[in-house]
Amino acid sequence: MIHGLGPDSAIHEDEALGKAYDARLMRRLMGYLRPYRGLVVLTSLLLLAISLLQLVGPYLTKVAIDTYIVSQDYAGVRNMALLYLGIWCLLAVLQYFQTYLMHRMGQHVIYDLRTQVFQHLQGQSLRFFDRNPVGRLMTRVVNDVEVLDEMFTTGVVTFLGDCFILAGITVAMIWLDWKLALLTLALVPLLVLVSSIYRRKAREAYRRTRLALARLNAYLHENLAGMRTVQAFVRERRNLKTFHGINLTYRDLMLRSIFYNSLFFPAVEIIGALATALVIWYGGGRVVQGLVELGVLVAFLQYLERFFRPIRDLAEKYNIMQSAMASSERLFKILDTQPDLESPAHPVAVSQCRGAVRFDRVWFAYRSGEWVLQDFTLEIEPGERIALVGPTGAGKSTLTNLLCRFYDPQRGRVLIDGVDVRDYDLKDLRRRIGLVIQDVFLFSGDVEANIRLGDTRIGLERVRQAARRVNAHRFIEQLPRGYQEPVAERGATFSAGQRQLISFARVLAIDPQILILDEATSSVDTETEHLIQENLEELLRGRTSIIVAHRLATVQRVDRIIVLRDGAVVEMGSHAELLRRGGLYATLYWYQFKDRAEDLADLAPSGAQGAL
Amino acid sequence: MLDKNLTSLKPYLLRYRWRLLAGILALLFTDACGLVVPWVLKLAIDGISSPRNSASLLHYAGLLMLAVLVQAVFRVGWRNGIFGFSRRVEADLRCDFFQHLQRLSPSFYDRAQTGDLMSRATNDLSAVRELLGMGAMGIVDGVLVVAASVSIMLVIDPRLTLLTMLPLPVITLAVLRLGKLVHERSRETQEQAAALSAMVQESFAGIRVVKAYVQEEAEYREFARLSREYFEKNMALVRVRAIFLPCIALMSAVGVALTLGYGGWRVIAGGMSLGSFVAFLGYLAMLTWPLMALGFVVNLYQRGMASLARINEILAVEPEVRDAPDALGDFTVDGAIEFRNLTFRYSRGAAGPAATATGEAGAPVLRNVTLRIPAGGVVALVGATGSGKSTLVNLVPRLYDPPPGTVFIDGVEVRRIPLTRLRSAIGYVSQEPYLFSDTLAANILFSAPARNGVEPREEAEVAQLSREICALPQGFETLIGERGVNLSGGQKQRVALARALARRPRILILDDAFSSVDTETEEKILRGLRAKLRGCTCLLVSHRVTTLQEADRIVVLEEGRIIEEGTNRELLARRGAYWRLYQKQLLAQGLEDRLRQAPFQAAVDAVPHSSPYRAAPPQERLGTRPSQRQESAP
Ligand SMILES: Nc1ncnc2c1ncn2[C@@H]1O[C@H](COP(=O)(O)OP(=O)(O)OP(=O)(O)O)[C@@H](O)[C@H]1O
Ligand SMILES: Nc1ncnc2c1ncn2[C@@H]1O[C@H](COP(=O)(O)OP(=O)(O)OP(=O)(O)O)[C@@H](O)[C@H]1O
Ligand SMILES: [Mg+2]
Ligand SMILES: [Mg+2]
Repeated sequence: MIHGLGPDSAIHEDEALGKAYDARLMRRLMGYLRPYRGLVVLTSLLLLAISLLQLVGPYLTKVAIDTYIVSQDYAGVRNMALLYLGIWCLLAVLQYFQTYLMHRMGQHVIYDLRTQVFQHLQGQSLRFFDRNPVGRLMTRVVNDVEVLDEMFTTGVVTFLGDCFILAGITVAMIWLDWKLALLTLALVPLLVLVSSIYRRKAREAYRRTRLALARLNAYLHENLAGMRTVQAFVRERRNLKTFHGINLTYRDLMLRSIFYNSLFFPAVEIIGALATALVIWYGGGRVVQGLVELGVLVAFLQYLERFFRPIRDLAEKYNIMQSAMASSERLFKILDTQPDLESPAHPVAVSQCRGAVRFDRVWFAYRSGEWVLQDFTLEIEPGERIALVGPTGAGKSTLTNLLCRFYDPQRGRVLIDGVDVRDYDLKDLRRRIGLVIQDVFLFSGDVEANIRLGDTRIGLERVRQAARRVNAHRFIEQLPRGYQEPVAERGATFSAGQRQLISFARVLAIDPQILILDEATSSVDTETEHLIQENLEELLRGRTSIIVAHRLATVQRVDRIIVLRDGAVVEMGSHAELLRRGGLYATLYWYQFKDRAEDLADLAPSGAQGAL
Repeated sequence: MLDKNLTSLKPYLLRYRWRLLAGILALLFTDACGLVVPWVLKLAIDGISSPRNSASLLHYAGLLMLAVLVQAVFRVGWRNGIFGFSRRVEADLRCDFFQHLQRLSPSFYDRAQTGDLMSRATNDLSAVRELLGMGAMGIVDGVLVVAASVSIMLVIDPRLTLLTMLPLPVITLAVLRLGKLVHERSRETQEQAAALSAMVQESFAGIRVVKAYVQEEAEYREFARLSREYFEKNMALVRVRAIFLPCIALMSAVGVALTLGYGGWRVIAGGMSLGSFVAFLGYLAMLTWPLMALGFVVNLYQRGMASLARINEILAVEPEVRDAPDALGDFTVDGAIEFRNLTFRYSRGAAGPAATATGEAGAPVLRNVTLRIPAGGVVALVGATGSGKSTLVNLVPRLYDPPPGTVFIDGVEVRRIPLTRLRSAIGYVSQEPYLFSDTLAANILFSAPARNGVEPREEAEVAQLSREICALPQGFETLIGERGVNLSGGQKQRVALARALARRPRILILDDAFSSVDTETEEKILRGLRAKLRGCTCLLVSHRVTTLQEADRIVVLEEGRIIEEGTNRELLARRGAYWRLYQKQLLAQGLEDRLRQAPFQAAVDAVPHSSPYRAAPPQERLGTRPSQRQESAP
């Protein structure tokens, strides 16, 4: 059976879209600022100071005109000019520090959030990774977090700054002339209307561009990772066409959202102009009537210009907020996903491990209802060496997955030394088990690091020894840089067998009490495999080991062979017993030598002695 | 170097030049309207201060509205024009980038990191787009508004204007200096972002290993280190970038202060009208934004150029394998393969996508290989790990380019066969198959001629997938995960086999394609293949004797050399490497003795009568029927 992901699978997930401003999300985001309270206060104060100082500018001009120029006091004018310059020098310095500190704060938050998300993702179970393509996880950890940086730096703080400015200007205008101020503020409802229309449009456009972008990146990622296959199967043109289509969809959606943005900006400006016109018409009239000084009017006009500027920029900020909210929603969704498989609160301490393994009436399915194992029971004695054989898809790898607790069974228990694996600490459990995974994976880095992995306690000598045991030492030594030879992504520059040997060596560099070899030598030639077996003989002694293999020569030396089919044990016993029984094992076995009849004549008389 | 990078954008600029021009024109008009506004304000204020014509206040207000309305129309125009232009160029550039990546050979991907390439196609590309959109806007806006404002200011009061411009050269110099730093640091930041992406991508792709070996902490430490470095690089960039805005704001402040001081004195002295003075201040204020924009543009420019350089770095990589200029226009592959004294080495380059084929060549992986396979022939390759089997078969579809004059198909050198023709005729099952997250049917029909929804039943049957697929609720429409995560090892291999069969190949390459398949299933597959592949040339790599025996001829490789070649019987008679291998697999534990005592028949008797082994008598092999095959060969 193949267990598909089903139409409800998250692989082709729709991107959910939240509100542009969500108080709950915002509060949670702000929580990340807590460790940097000092920075936040400092930048806010700086910002406040900057906003206030910036407001002083037009006021100084007003004073210069109304008080000094009108009264022909040049010294006063000069002082005003010097004051203006001084204030701006101060402003420049403050601005520099404010920008710097603000980014520092943003980067801190990003760092914290990013490492947190990464760590949380790592803790997820394999079920999670089965469903979520790597491209998407990458987007979360790298891009989604980056978007928040924009919000924290350009968004939140400047938003705060804009609020200061708006409030300040409103106060200043009311203070200058409350009637004029009221007149201009009467236009605010119009602004609200325009922006709410815009918001609706922008939201929809944004949602669709997000979706298109996610598709674009996923497609790109999968194509890059599988480019050899694409090329070997001459799919370039068709894939290019698909890509082109996705790309164009994305572009056109972007163009549409540019269009909405382009409407909003002038709309605000027209409203702003309306305000200015009103001020000229009404305020000008009052100046003429002598009710208002000219300087007040000039200052008022300058304030107006500053009043509408932040509102105009709202379009940009709105987009930033929108994407920040969407990103943080996705991030929080991940952070809120509890791993469906965790260490217990009070794990059983691992004492001297004997290595008794027991599958006790285990029921297991990757997808509910599609049972891979049904009522599966198997007992392995401490120190016993067993082999799992059987047709592909029988559930051999699944058994090893359960033993390492990569998945939890739906029913029944998996026991090690009589204790349910769910009662051990996950890491303790996995440290006791040495698993060679069927799908070889090498990391980029060098050969040595690939064998040792992150364990700094393993020295080069140990690495060499492990490599020697799997017969990899020879080819590694022949590499120009030996154990320091760089390994490309997934070990692309090694032969499949060499990759497998390196991945095999990992398990020998550690000292596990239970050893699981899931097709550890399936791509390795018979001779090398044979040598490895001899080298392992001594190593395996006294250790519980489970060996999965299709090449039956690999499993001859075990104590017991277990034959699986469709998730059930169909036969069990030693090689000789099973052969004698003439069941599935015997079939599998004899298929290996089906042509021997004709060769036998050549071989039997003398050949047997020459071998081994 | 910068210029060279910029010229790579030329075709895109040319393609959308009218759009860009229209955008720029609209922007000019927008700015022109913007200049009218302070003028109207000046008139209004002058009007107010000399109340002779107070009746025309409404007139000024109307004029202002008109100017802004016209401006609004142009603003919509330029935004769509210029930003639309940048988005269009971005889309084209992305498509070309993708197309270029498609042309690059496997040797490139051997060294490239997927995460890094992704980072270039996303982060770097957006930086370039911003350079084009915001950059174009900033430059035009900046230069024009500055020029226009300055000339109007010159008209109002030339001396005052020159005075206010005093700090300009200083600022320009500073901006250019800083620009270099920004470029340098932007590049470092982008590189670090790519490194981070690559690390994340690997760590999650290899999560099974990470978990099995309890490496979460080590991975986390590494990730935290890279993030920390990214933090530092970003801050280093911010430190220079943060200088720009205050710098420019200061410059305009100096201008305002000078205007206040000097202009105020002139107004007092009566050399300047109050209205002109206010308008002058207005123009100065208007200068601030474009000047800031110019500073911003310098930032954008430096960042965009750093990113463009990273994209061009990839675009500059020449595909190692491509159609030769003297390629045959038309060629139909029949299937005869010949290797003529082939010596092959992989070029060794440093890791990283920038490393190209120019790296020095390593030690030879294949040495003097000479081998002829007639059309319809079946040849099996066997040999130690790393002996060059995969390398040899990869040269047939030209995944790597063999040296000239070494590999021939139907007597024609592979280099001269058009790549698409060649590869279309080859069914290739690689040693580690890559499946796509799509439905089973789509995976199997990956490159098959369009079949309009017909399910690939026949292929699935040959690959022994039918039983498993039938058991699925969605059958062929079942979605499989990334790289086929939800399939067992053997299932992946069989899907890959079905995929290769679906294209009805002339040449079938099976590179250890049954290593995760049990012997019984393998035998069934081989039996199906026999029927299906009549007349098809087949290159088999395997470590299993059973599979090898399917072939007409078996070739044993050792360290890149052919050390033995012949039929199963010949090789056994030779008692060489093949014979030793055979012995090892045959003389399984305990069998040795049993064989001596009880000859083969006893063992055969042990096989149940219902077993498929009986159904397929051992005599029926691919290799035993060369005559039949020749008949069916066209
Ligand atoms: N991660 C997964 N999600 C869903 N289904 C899975 C997953 N892994 C395996 N399966 C399914 O479970 C069944 C048993 O798979 P398993 O990997 O245990 O087989 P196996 O015996 O190891 O086969 P092989 O010899 O081919 O490796 C198969 O039908 C497979 O499709
Ligand atoms: N892309 C590559 N770049 C550089 N060297 C390579 C590359 N691929 C393989 N090699 C080297 O070439 C040699 C032959 O590799 P090849 O993959 O042909 O071996 P193989 O016979 O297929 O082995 P296996 O049985 O393990 O699959 C090996 O030493 C390997 O390290
Ligand atoms: Mg398996
Ligand atoms: Mg190989």
